[in-house]
Amino acid sequence: MSEILSRHRPLALLAAMIFVQVLLLAFQIKREHDVRLVRYWAVQLLTPVERAGTWSFSRVTGVWRGYVGLRDTRAENDRLKREVEKLSMRNRELESKAAEAQRLASLLNFREAHSEAQMLAAQVIGASADPASHTLFINRGERDHVRRNLAVVTPEGVVGKIVEVFPSAAQVLLINDKDSGVGALFADTRTHGVVKGSGDPDPRMDYVENGEKVRAGEVVLTSGEDRIFPKDFPIGTVESAAPGNPFQVIRIQPAAHLDRLEEVLILLTQQELAPKKTEETASSSPSPASQPGVAKTKSSSPNHTSPATPKKTMPPVSPKPDAASAAPAAVTAPTPAPAATSSSPTTPPPSAPPQ
Amino acid sequence: MAHMLSAGTHAKPNIEVHKFYGGAVLLVAFFSLVLQAFLHKYGRWAELIDLPLLVTIYFGVSRRNPVSGMFLGAAIGLLQDALGHDNPIGMYGIAKTCVGYLSSSVGARIDTEHPIARFGLVFLLFHFHQAVLTITQRVLLNHSFPFFTLRLFLDSIVSAAIAVVLFALLDRLRRPS
Repeated sequence: MSEILSRHRPLALLAAMIFVQVLLLAFQIKREHDVRLVRYWAVQLLTPVERAGTWSFSRVTGVWRGYVGLRDTRAENDRLKREVEKLSMRNRELESKAAEAQRLASLLNFREAHSEAQMLAAQVIGASADPASHTLFINRGERDHVRRNLAVVTPEGVVGKIVEVFPSAAQVLLINDKDSGVGALFADTRTHGVVKGSGDPDPRMDYVENGEKVRAGEVVLTSGEDRIFPKDFPIGTVESAAPGNPFQVIRIQPAAHLDRLEEVLILLTQQELAPKKTEETASSSPSPASQPGVAKTKSSSPNHTSPATPKKTMPPVSPKPDAASAAPAAVTAPTPAPAATSSSPTTPPPSAPPQ
Repeated sequence: MAHMLSAGTHAKPNIEVHKFYGGAVLLVAFFSLVLQAFLHKYGRWAELIDLPLLVTIYFGVSRRNPVSGMFLGAAIGLLQDALGHDNPIGMYGIAKTCVGYLSSSVGARIDTEHPIARFGLVFLLFHFHQAVLTITQRVLLNHSFPFFTLRLFLDSIVSAAIAVVLFALLDRLRRPS
Protein backbone atom coordinates (compact mmCIF):
# COMPACT_ATOMS: atom_id res chain seq x y z
CA MET A 1 0.00 0.00 0.00
CA SER A 2 2.75 2.41 0.99
CA GLU A 3 4.67 1.39 -2.14
CA ILE A 4 1.71 2.25 -4.32
CA LEU A 5 1.31 5.57 -2.52
CA SER A 6 4.96 6.46 -2.94
CA ARG A 7 4.86 5.48 -6.61
CA HIS A 8 1.80 7.63 -7.25
CA ARG A 9 2.60 10.27 -4.71
CA PRO A 10 1.46 13.29 -6.75
CA LEU A 11 -1.83 11.61 -7.60
CA ALA A 12 -2.38 10.61 -4.00
CA LEU A 13 -1.65 14.15 -2.91
CA LEU A 14 -4.08 15.50 -5.49
CA ALA A 15 -6.78 13.17 -4.21
CA ALA A 16 -6.05 14.21 -0.63
CA MET A 17 -6.17 17.89 -1.52
CA ILE A 18 -9.47 17.53 -3.32
CA PHE A 19 -10.89 15.46 -0.48
CA VAL A 20 -9.89 18.06 2.09
CA GLN A 21 -11.47 20.84 0.06
CA VAL A 22 -14.61 18.86 -0.55
CA LEU A 23 -14.85 18.33 3.19
CA LEU A 24 -14.31 22.03 3.66
CA LEU A 25 -17.19 22.69 1.29
CA ALA A 26 -19.37 20.10 2.96
CA PHE A 27 -19.02 21.89 6.27
CA GLN A 28 -20.20 25.13 4.67
CA ILE A 29 -22.94 24.04 2.31
CA LYS A 30 -26.44 23.53 3.62
CA ARG A 31 -28.96 21.42 1.80
CA GLU A 32 -32.74 21.22 2.24
CA HIS A 33 -34.13 21.78 5.73
CA ASP A 34 -30.93 23.61 6.71
CA VAL A 35 -28.97 20.39 7.06
CA ARG A 36 -25.24 20.70 6.48
CA LEU A 37 -23.92 18.66 3.60
CA VAL A 38 -21.42 16.84 5.77
CA ARG A 39 -24.21 15.64 8.03
CA TYR A 40 -26.32 14.70 5.02
CA TRP A 41 -23.44 12.65 3.64
CA ALA A 42 -22.78 11.06 6.98
CA VAL A 43 -26.40 9.98 7.25
CA GLN A 44 -26.41 8.77 3.64
CA LEU A 45 -23.24 6.82 4.32
CA LEU A 46 -24.34 5.28 7.58
CA THR A 47 -28.01 4.60 6.85
CA PRO A 48 -27.41 1.70 4.43
CA VAL A 49 -25.05 0.12 6.92
CA GLU A 50 -27.59 0.50 9.69
CA ARG A 51 -30.33 -0.80 7.40
CA ALA A 52 -28.24 -3.80 6.49
CA GLY A 53 -27.53 -4.43 10.15
CA THR A 54 -31.20 -4.21 11.05
CA TRP A 55 -32.13 -6.50 8.18
CA SER A 56 -29.51 -9.06 9.19
CA PHE A 57 -30.61 -8.91 12.80
CA SER A 58 -34.26 -9.33 11.85
CA ARG A 59 -33.35 -12.28 9.65
CA VAL A 60 -31.48 -13.95 12.45
CA THR A 61 -34.30 -13.21 14.85
CA GLY A 62 -36.83 -14.48 12.31
CA VAL A 63 -34.93 -17.70 11.84
CA TRP A 64 -34.73 -18.15 15.57
CA ARG A 65 -38.40 -17.43 16.11
CA GLY A 66 -39.55 -19.28 13.00
CA TYR A 67 -37.61 -22.49 13.53
CA VAL A 68 -35.73 -22.79 16.76
CA GLY A 69 -38.39 -21.17 18.87
CA LEU A 70 -41.18 -23.40 17.50
CA ARG A 71 -40.25 -26.50 19.46
CA ASP A 72 -43.35 -26.37 21.65
CA THR A 73 -45.66 -24.99 19.01
CA ARG A 74 -47.41 -28.26 18.18
CA ALA A 75 -48.40 -28.87 21.76
CA GLU A 76 -49.44 -25.28 22.15
CA ASN A 77 -51.42 -25.47 18.92
CA ASP A 78 -53.30 -28.53 20.15
CA ARG A 79 -53.99 -26.85 23.43
CA LEU A 80 -55.25 -23.72 21.69
CA LYS A 81 -57.44 -25.77 19.36
CA ARG A 82 -59.04 -27.46 22.32
CA GLU A 83 -59.53 -24.10 23.94
CA VAL A 84 -61.08 -22.68 20.77
CA GLU A 85 -63.50 -25.60 20.59
CA LYS A 86 -64.43 -25.14 24.20
CA LEU A 87 -64.92 -21.42 23.75
CA SER A 88 -66.94 -21.92 20.55
CA MET A 89 -69.24 -24.27 22.40
CA ARG A 90 -69.52 -21.82 25.23
CA ASN A 91 -70.19 -19.03 22.75
CA ARG A 92 -73.00 -20.97 21.10
CA GLU A 93 -74.46 -21.69 24.50
CA LEU A 94 -74.35 -18.02 25.46
CA GLU A 95 -75.82 -16.96 22.13
CA SER A 96 -78.66 -19.39 22.67
CA LYS A 97 -79.21 -18.06 26.15
CA ALA A 98 -79.11 -14.49 24.90
CA ALA A 99 -81.73 -15.29 22.29
CA GLU A 100 -83.83 -17.00 24.91
CA ALA A 101 -83.48 -14.03 27.20
CA GLN A 102 -84.58 -11.78 24.38
CA ARG A 103 -87.64 -13.89 23.74
CA LEU A 104 -88.48 -14.02 27.42
CA ALA A 105 -88.02 -10.28 27.68
CA SER A 106 -90.46 -9.88 24.83
CA LEU A 107 -92.97 -12.11 26.60
CA LEU A 108 -92.45 -10.22 29.82
CA ASN A 109 -93.00 -6.90 28.12
CA PHE A 110 -96.17 -8.21 26.59
CA ARG A 111 -97.36 -9.50 29.92
CA GLU A 112 -96.57 -6.25 31.67
CA ALA A 113 -98.35 -4.32 28.95
CA HIS A 114 -101.47 -6.40 29.59
CA SER A 115 -101.41 -6.63 33.33
CA GLU A 116 -105.20 -6.68 33.35
CA ALA A 117 -105.20 -10.13 31.73
CA GLN A 118 -104.11 -13.26 33.51
CA MET A 119 -101.37 -14.98 31.62
CA LEU A 120 -99.11 -17.89 32.14
CA ALA A 121 -95.81 -18.29 30.37
CA ALA A 122 -95.03 -21.73 29.03
CA GLN A 123 -92.20 -23.37 27.23
CA VAL A 124 -92.66 -25.48 24.15
CA ILE A 125 -91.37 -28.92 24.97
CA GLY A 126 -92.43 -30.91 21.97
CA ALA A 127 -94.48 -31.19 18.83
CA SER A 128 -96.78 -33.71 17.24
CA ALA A 129 -95.26 -36.78 15.71
CA ASP A 130 -97.86 -36.64 12.93
CA PRO A 131 -96.63 -34.42 10.12
CA ALA A 132 -100.20 -33.58 9.16
CA SER A 133 -101.02 -32.46 12.65
CA HIS A 134 -99.91 -29.00 13.75
CA THR A 135 -99.82 -29.32 17.51
CA LEU A 136 -97.35 -28.53 20.26
CA PHE A 137 -96.74 -29.67 23.78
CA ILE A 138 -96.05 -27.09 26.47
CA ASN A 139 -94.74 -27.54 29.97
CA ARG A 140 -97.87 -26.32 31.71
CA GLY A 141 -100.79 -28.53 32.74
CA GLU A 142 -103.48 -29.09 35.31
CA ARG A 143 -101.11 -28.27 38.14
CA ASP A 144 -100.79 -24.80 36.68
CA HIS A 145 -104.57 -24.46 36.35
CA VAL A 146 -104.46 -24.81 32.61
CA ARG A 147 -107.78 -25.81 31.07
CA ARG A 148 -108.95 -26.77 27.63
CA ASN A 149 -109.83 -24.04 25.14
CA LEU A 150 -107.53 -21.47 26.62
CA ALA A 151 -105.88 -19.18 24.09
CA VAL A 152 -102.20 -19.54 23.49
CA VAL A 153 -100.46 -16.48 22.06
CA THR A 154 -97.13 -14.77 21.62
CA PRO A 155 -96.56 -11.03 21.58
CA GLU A 156 -96.60 -11.26 17.79
CA GLY A 157 -99.99 -12.91 17.49
CA VAL A 158 -102.27 -15.88 17.98
CA VAL A 159 -100.69 -19.32 18.26
CA GLY A 160 -103.57 -21.66 18.96
CA LYS A 161 -105.60 -23.08 21.81
CA ILE A 162 -105.24 -25.76 24.45
CA VAL A 163 -106.90 -28.97 23.33
CA GLU A 164 -105.61 -31.51 25.82
CA VAL A 165 -104.48 -31.02 29.37
CA PHE A 166 -102.23 -33.35 31.29
CA PRO A 167 -100.99 -33.02 34.83
CA SER A 168 -97.80 -31.23 33.90
CA ALA A 169 -98.21 -30.61 30.19
CA ALA A 170 -100.75 -29.52 27.67
CA GLN A 171 -101.29 -29.92 23.95
CA VAL A 172 -101.79 -26.83 21.82
CA LEU A 173 -103.66 -26.93 18.54
CA LEU A 174 -102.01 -24.40 16.24
CA ILE A 175 -104.13 -22.12 14.08
CA ASN A 176 -102.75 -23.72 10.93
CA ASP A 177 -103.95 -27.17 11.90
CA LYS A 178 -106.73 -28.41 9.69
CA ASP A 179 -108.98 -28.88 12.73
CA SER A 180 -108.51 -25.34 13.96
CA GLY A 181 -110.69 -22.32 13.46
CA VAL A 182 -110.49 -18.79 14.83
CA GLY A 183 -113.09 -16.06 14.58
CA ALA A 184 -111.45 -13.27 12.61
CA LEU A 185 -112.05 -9.97 10.94
CA PHE A 186 -110.17 -7.64 8.66
CA ALA A 187 -108.71 -4.69 10.50
CA ASP A 188 -109.67 -2.21 7.79
CA THR A 189 -113.11 -3.28 6.68
CA ARG A 190 -114.11 -5.19 9.80
CA THR A 191 -115.40 -7.95 7.56
CA HIS A 192 -115.77 -11.14 9.53
CA GLY A 193 -114.67 -14.60 8.66
CA VAL A 194 -113.00 -17.64 10.12
CA VAL A 195 -109.33 -18.42 9.96
CA LYS A 196 -108.98 -22.16 9.48
CA GLY A 197 -106.07 -24.46 9.12
CA SER A 198 -105.62 -26.15 5.79
CA GLY A 199 -102.84 -28.54 6.57
CA ASP A 200 -100.39 -26.17 4.94
CA PRO A 201 -98.10 -23.93 6.96
CA ASP A 202 -100.35 -20.98 6.17
CA PRO A 203 -103.98 -20.99 7.30
CA ARG A 204 -106.86 -19.63 5.23
CA MET A 205 -109.62 -17.17 5.98
CA ASP A 206 -112.94 -18.60 4.99
CA TYR A 207 -116.45 -17.33 4.54
CA VAL A 208 -115.54 -14.08 2.86
CA GLU A 209 -117.71 -13.41 -0.15
CA ASN A 210 -116.26 -12.96 -3.60
CA GLY A 211 -117.51 -9.41 -3.83
CA GLU A 212 -115.49 -8.36 -0.84
CA LYS A 213 -112.37 -6.35 -1.66
CA VAL A 214 -109.44 -7.98 0.04
CA ARG A 215 -105.94 -6.75 -0.58
CA ALA A 216 -102.66 -8.48 0.16
CA GLY A 217 -101.00 -7.29 3.35
CA GLU A 218 -104.29 -6.49 5.06
CA VAL A 219 -104.18 -7.22 8.75
CA VAL A 220 -106.41 -9.92 10.16
CA LEU A 221 -107.44 -9.71 13.79
CA THR A 222 -109.37 -11.93 16.13
CA SER A 223 -113.04 -11.08 16.32
CA GLY A 224 -113.56 -12.46 19.80
CA GLU A 225 -116.62 -14.35 18.65
CA ASP A 226 -115.10 -17.69 19.42
CA ARG A 227 -114.92 -16.83 23.13
CA ILE A 228 -111.43 -18.17 23.24
CA PHE A 229 -109.23 -15.44 21.84
CA PRO A 230 -109.50 -11.84 22.97
CA LYS A 231 -110.89 -9.41 20.46
CA ASP A 232 -108.61 -7.49 18.09
CA PHE A 233 -105.55 -9.59 18.70
CA PRO A 234 -103.41 -10.05 15.55
CA ILE A 235 -103.71 -13.29 13.68
CA GLY A 236 -101.69 -12.40 10.63
CA THR A 237 -101.78 -10.63 7.29
CA VAL A 238 -103.39 -11.51 3.98
CA GLU A 239 -100.86 -13.21 1.76
CA SER A 240 -103.08 -13.70 -1.26
CA ALA A 241 -106.74 -13.58 -2.12
CA ALA A 242 -108.48 -15.22 -5.06
CA PRO A 243 -112.11 -15.74 -6.03
CA GLY A 244 -113.48 -19.16 -5.12
CA ASN A 245 -116.71 -21.04 -4.91
CA PRO A 246 -118.68 -20.02 -2.94
CA PHE A 247 -116.19 -17.89 -0.95
CA GLN A 248 -112.86 -16.28 -1.64
CA VAL A 249 -109.71 -18.30 -1.09
CA ILE A 250 -107.62 -16.12 1.21
CA ARG A 251 -104.24 -17.26 2.45
CA ILE A 252 -103.06 -15.81 5.72
CA GLN A 253 -99.48 -15.32 6.83
CA PRO A 254 -99.58 -15.93 10.60
CA ALA A 255 -98.19 -13.15 12.74
CA ALA A 256 -96.66 -15.61 15.18
CA HIS A 257 -93.76 -17.70 13.95
CA LEU A 258 -95.55 -21.00 14.28
CA ASP A 259 -92.65 -23.04 12.99
CA ARG A 260 -90.14 -21.82 15.57
CA LEU A 261 -92.00 -21.34 18.78
CA GLU A 262 -90.10 -21.80 22.00
CA GLU A 263 -91.97 -19.77 24.58
CA VAL A 264 -95.67 -18.91 24.54
CA LEU A 265 -98.24 -17.28 26.78
CA ILE A 266 -101.45 -18.92 27.89
CA LEU A 267 -104.31 -16.46 28.38
CA LEU A 268 -106.20 -17.66 31.42
CA THR A 269 -109.17 -15.41 30.62
CA GLN A 270 -110.73 -14.16 27.43
CA GLN A 271 -110.53 -10.59 28.64
CA GLU A 272 -109.95 -8.18 25.82
CA LEU A 273 -106.36 -6.99 25.65
CA ALA A 274 -106.00 -3.25 25.61
CA PRO A 275 -104.21 -2.48 22.35
CA LYS A 276 -102.93 0.84 23.64
CA LYS A 277 -100.48 -0.97 25.84
CA THR A 278 -99.31 -3.39 23.22
CA GLU A 279 -96.64 -1.91 21.04
CA GLU A 280 -96.26 -5.09 19.11
CA THR A 281 -99.98 -5.30 18.42
CA ALA A 282 -100.16 -1.69 17.33
CA SER A 283 -97.25 -2.04 14.99
CA SER A 284 -98.59 -5.19 13.42
CA SER A 285 -102.00 -3.65 12.71
CA PRO A 286 -101.40 -0.28 11.16
CA SER A 287 -104.91 0.31 9.93
CA PRO A 288 -107.12 2.93 11.55
CA ALA A 289 -109.55 0.24 12.57
CA SER A 290 -106.95 -1.31 14.75
CA GLN A 291 -106.38 1.93 16.63
CA PRO A 292 -107.68 1.88 20.18
CA GLY A 293 -110.59 4.21 19.68
CA VAL A 294 -111.75 2.66 16.49
CA ALA A 295 -111.50 -0.85 17.81
CA LYS A 296 -113.58 -0.03 20.84
CA THR A 297 -116.26 1.69 18.80
CA LYS A 298 -116.56 -1.20 16.43
CA SER A 299 -116.61 -3.77 19.14
CA SER A 300 -119.24 -1.95 21.12
CA SER A 301 -121.94 -3.37 18.90
CA PRO A 302 -122.06 -7.13 18.98
CA ASN A 303 -123.99 -7.29 15.76
CA HIS A 304 -121.77 -4.86 13.94
CA THR A 305 -120.98 -5.64 10.35
CA SER A 306 -119.19 -3.58 7.83
CA PRO A 307 -120.91 -2.67 4.58
CA ALA A 308 -119.04 -5.46 2.91
CA THR A 309 -119.89 -8.02 5.48
CA PRO A 310 -121.51 -11.08 3.92
CA LYS A 311 -125.22 -11.15 4.30
CA LYS A 312 -125.37 -14.83 4.96
CA THR A 313 -125.41 -16.79 8.11
CA MET A 314 -121.92 -17.69 9.23
CA PRO A 315 -121.56 -21.43 9.22
CA PRO A 316 -119.97 -23.24 12.13
CA VAL A 317 -116.24 -22.74 12.31
CA SER A 318 -115.49 -26.38 12.81
CA PRO A 319 -117.84 -28.06 10.44
CA LYS A 320 -115.96 -31.31 10.30
CA PRO A 321 -117.33 -33.87 12.69
CA ASP A 322 -113.91 -35.09 13.68
CA ALA A 323 -112.75 -31.54 14.24
CA ALA A 324 -115.75 -30.91 16.38
CA SER A 325 -115.03 -33.97 18.36
CA ALA A 326 -111.36 -33.31 18.71
CA ALA A 327 -111.85 -29.70 19.68
CA PRO A 328 -115.36 -28.57 20.27
CA ALA A 329 -115.03 -25.95 17.56
CA ALA A 330 -112.54 -23.17 17.57
CA VAL A 331 -115.18 -20.59 18.16
CA THR A 332 -116.67 -22.58 20.96
CA ALA A 333 -116.20 -20.92 24.26
CA PRO A 334 -114.83 -22.77 27.25
CA THR A 335 -117.39 -25.25 28.44
CA PRO A 336 -118.83 -23.45 31.42
CA ALA A 337 -119.40 -20.27 29.51
CA PRO A 338 -123.01 -19.55 28.69
CA ALA A 339 -122.08 -18.36 25.26
CA ALA A 340 -120.98 -21.82 24.36
CA THR A 341 -124.45 -22.62 23.29
CA SER A 342 -124.51 -19.84 20.81
CA SER A 343 -121.28 -20.94 19.25
CA SER A 344 -121.96 -24.57 19.02
CA PRO A 345 -121.09 -26.28 15.76
CA THR A 346 -124.67 -26.19 14.68
CA THR A 347 -125.31 -22.53 15.31
CA PRO A 348 -123.88 -19.48 13.62
CA PRO A 349 -121.47 -17.25 15.47
CA PRO A 350 -123.03 -14.50 17.53
CA SER A 351 -121.94 -11.70 15.31
CA ALA A 352 -123.12 -13.31 12.15
CA PRO A 353 -125.56 -11.00 10.49
CA PRO A 354 -129.14 -12.11 10.31
CA GLN A 355 -130.20 -13.65 7.12
CA MET B 1 5.27 26.25 1.24
CA ALA B 2 8.46 27.22 -0.52
CA HIS B 3 9.74 23.71 -0.04
CA MET B 4 6.55 22.32 -1.51
CA LEU B 5 6.66 24.72 -4.42
CA SER B 6 10.25 23.79 -5.20
CA ALA B 7 9.61 20.10 -5.00
CA GLY B 8 9.58 19.61 -8.76
CA THR B 9 13.26 19.09 -9.37
CA HIS B 10 12.87 15.48 -10.54
CA ALA B 11 11.39 16.31 -13.97
CA LYS B 12 12.56 14.58 -17.08
CA PRO B 13 15.95 15.86 -18.40
CA ASN B 14 14.80 16.49 -21.99
CA ILE B 15 12.23 19.10 -20.91
CA GLU B 16 13.67 22.26 -19.42
CA VAL B 17 12.54 23.18 -15.93
CA HIS B 18 12.36 26.91 -15.45
CA LYS B 19 13.20 28.58 -12.20
CA PHE B 20 12.11 32.00 -11.08
CA TYR B 21 13.52 34.69 -8.93
CA GLY B 22 12.83 34.36 -5.28
CA GLY B 23 9.32 35.30 -4.28
CA ALA B 24 8.34 35.87 -7.89
CA VAL B 25 5.76 33.10 -7.85
CA LEU B 26 4.13 34.28 -4.66
CA LEU B 27 4.15 37.93 -5.71
CA VAL B 28 2.68 37.22 -9.12
CA ALA B 29 -0.02 35.05 -7.64
CA PHE B 30 -0.84 37.69 -5.08
CA PHE B 31 -0.98 40.47 -7.66
CA SER B 32 -3.12 38.41 -9.97
CA LEU B 33 -5.71 38.12 -7.22
CA VAL B 34 -5.50 41.79 -6.39
CA LEU B 35 -5.75 42.79 -10.01
CA GLN B 36 -8.67 40.45 -10.57
CA ALA B 37 -10.50 42.05 -7.68
CA PHE B 38 -9.49 45.50 -8.85
CA LEU B 39 -10.61 44.98 -12.43
CA HIS B 40 -13.88 43.57 -11.26
CA LYS B 41 -14.83 47.03 -10.09
CA TYR B 42 -14.71 48.42 -13.61
CA GLY B 43 -17.38 46.54 -15.35
CA ARG B 44 -18.48 43.11 -16.40
CA TRP B 45 -15.88 42.88 -19.13
CA ALA B 46 -13.39 41.97 -16.39
CA GLU B 47 -15.31 38.72 -15.92
CA LEU B 48 -13.96 37.65 -19.29
CA ILE B 49 -10.52 37.26 -17.78
CA ASP B 50 -9.54 34.89 -14.99
CA LEU B 51 -6.05 36.12 -14.13
CA PRO B 52 -5.51 33.67 -11.21
CA LEU B 53 -6.27 30.82 -13.59
CA LEU B 54 -3.75 32.07 -16.14
CA VAL B 55 -1.09 32.46 -13.43
CA THR B 56 -1.79 28.94 -12.15
CA ILE B 57 -1.46 27.54 -15.64
CA TYR B 58 1.71 29.48 -16.37
CA PHE B 59 3.61 28.43 -13.26
CA GLY B 60 2.35 24.89 -13.52
CA VAL B 61 3.53 24.59 -17.10
CA SER B 62 6.84 26.34 -16.39
CA ARG B 63 7.85 24.48 -13.23
CA ARG B 64 6.59 21.15 -14.58
CA ASN B 65 6.10 19.72 -11.11
CA PRO B 66 2.58 18.37 -10.44
CA VAL B 67 2.84 18.65 -6.68
CA SER B 68 3.98 22.24 -6.62
CA GLY B 69 1.52 23.14 -9.36
CA MET B 70 -1.26 21.50 -7.41
CA PHE B 71 -0.40 23.36 -4.20
CA LEU B 72 -0.05 26.64 -6.03
CA GLY B 73 -3.42 26.12 -7.71
CA ALA B 74 -5.03 25.19 -4.38
CA ALA B 75 -3.61 28.27 -2.68
CA ILE B 76 -4.70 30.62 -5.45
CA GLY B 77 -8.11 29.03 -5.71
CA LEU B 78 -8.79 29.16 -1.98
CA LEU B 79 -7.73 32.80 -1.84
CA GLN B 80 -9.99 33.54 -4.79
CA ASP B 81 -12.84 31.86 -2.93
CA ALA B 82 -12.03 33.87 0.16
CA LEU B 83 -12.17 37.12 -1.77
CA GLY B 84 -15.60 36.28 -3.13
CA HIS B 85 -18.70 36.81 -1.06
CA ASP B 86 -21.18 34.22 -2.24
CA ASN B 87 -19.05 31.20 -3.03
CA PRO B 88 -18.37 28.63 -0.36
CA ILE B 89 -14.64 28.34 0.19
CA GLY B 90 -13.28 25.45 -1.85
CA MET B 91 -15.11 25.82 -5.16
CA TYR B 92 -12.30 27.53 -7.02
CA GLY B 93 -9.81 25.75 -4.76
CA ILE B 94 -10.76 22.35 -6.13
CA ALA B 95 -10.90 23.56 -9.72
CA LYS B 96 -7.53 25.28 -9.62
CA THR B 97 -5.94 22.39 -7.72
CA CYS B 98 -6.90 20.16 -10.61
CA VAL B 99 -5.78 22.72 -13.18
CA GLY B 100 -2.43 23.19 -11.42
CA TYR B 101 -1.86 19.47 -11.32
CA LEU B 102 -2.90 18.94 -14.92
CA SER B 103 -0.93 21.87 -16.31
CA SER B 104 2.22 20.70 -14.51
CA SER B 105 1.72 17.18 -15.79
CA VAL B 106 1.21 18.43 -19.34
CA GLY B 107 4.15 20.80 -19.07
CA ALA B 108 6.39 17.94 -17.99
CA ARG B 109 5.56 16.02 -21.19
CA ILE B 110 5.24 18.54 -23.99
CA ASP B 111 6.99 21.78 -24.82
CA THR B 112 4.67 24.71 -24.17
CA GLU B 113 6.93 27.58 -25.06
CA HIS B 114 5.42 28.28 -28.45
CA PRO B 115 2.61 30.88 -28.42
CA ILE B 116 0.23 28.66 -30.36
CA ALA B 117 0.83 25.77 -27.95
CA ARG B 118 0.22 28.16 -25.07
CA PHE B 119 -2.98 29.44 -26.70
CA GLY B 120 -4.28 25.93 -27.22
CA LEU B 121 -3.25 24.77 -23.79
CA VAL B 122 -4.91 27.73 -22.03
CA PHE B 123 -8.03 27.28 -24.15
CA LEU B 124 -8.32 23.63 -23.13
CA LEU B 125 -7.43 24.17 -19.50
CA PHE B 126 -9.94 27.00 -19.29
CA HIS B 127 -12.72 24.60 -20.24
CA PHE B 128 -11.30 21.92 -17.96
CA HIS B 129 -11.37 24.45 -15.11
CA GLN B 130 -14.93 25.36 -16.02
CA ALA B 131 -15.95 21.70 -16.19
CA VAL B 132 -14.53 20.96 -12.72
CA LEU B 133 -16.25 24.07 -11.37
CA THR B 134 -19.57 23.10 -12.90
CA ILE B 135 -19.33 19.54 -11.65
CA THR B 136 -18.56 20.75 -8.15
CA GLN B 137 -21.45 23.18 -8.21
CA ARG B 138 -23.84 20.62 -9.57
CA VAL B 139 -22.85 17.88 -7.15
CA LEU B 140 -22.32 19.85 -4.00
CA LEU B 141 -24.49 22.93 -4.39
CA ASN B 142 -27.22 21.22 -6.38
CA HIS B 143 -27.14 24.08 -8.91
CA SER B 144 -27.60 23.46 -12.61
CA PHE B 145 -24.75 25.43 -14.17
CA PRO B 146 -24.07 24.75 -17.87
CA PHE B 147 -20.90 23.00 -18.98
CA PHE B 148 -20.62 24.97 -22.17
CA THR B 149 -22.09 28.19 -23.52
CA LEU B 150 -21.14 30.64 -26.23
CA ARG B 151 -20.16 33.08 -23.55
CA LEU B 152 -17.78 30.54 -22.08
CA PHE B 153 -16.36 29.88 -25.49
CA LEU B 154 -15.68 33.59 -25.99
CA ASP B 155 -14.20 33.77 -22.51
CA SER B 156 -11.86 30.93 -23.30
CA ILE B 157 -10.75 32.60 -26.56
CA VAL B 158 -10.14 35.93 -24.84
CA SER B 159 -8.36 34.27 -21.93
CA ALA B 160 -6.15 32.25 -24.28
CA ALA B 161 -5.28 35.36 -26.26
CA ILE B 162 -4.41 37.34 -23.16
CA ALA B 163 -2.49 34.35 -21.83
CA VAL B 164 -0.17 34.44 -24.84
CA VAL B 165 0.74 38.04 -24.01
CA LEU B 166 0.83 37.52 -20.25
CA PHE B 167 2.98 34.40 -20.45
CA ALA B 168 5.49 36.32 -22.58
CA LEU B 169 5.67 38.99 -19.91
CA LEU B 170 6.01 36.42 -17.14
CA ASP B 171 8.84 34.72 -19.02
CA ARG B 172 10.96 37.71 -18.05
CA LEU B 173 10.75 36.63 -14.40
CA ARG B 174 12.56 33.41 -15.18
CA ARG B 175 16.01 32.95 -13.79
CA PRO B 176 18.48 32.39 -16.61
CA SER B 177 19.57 28.78 -16.78
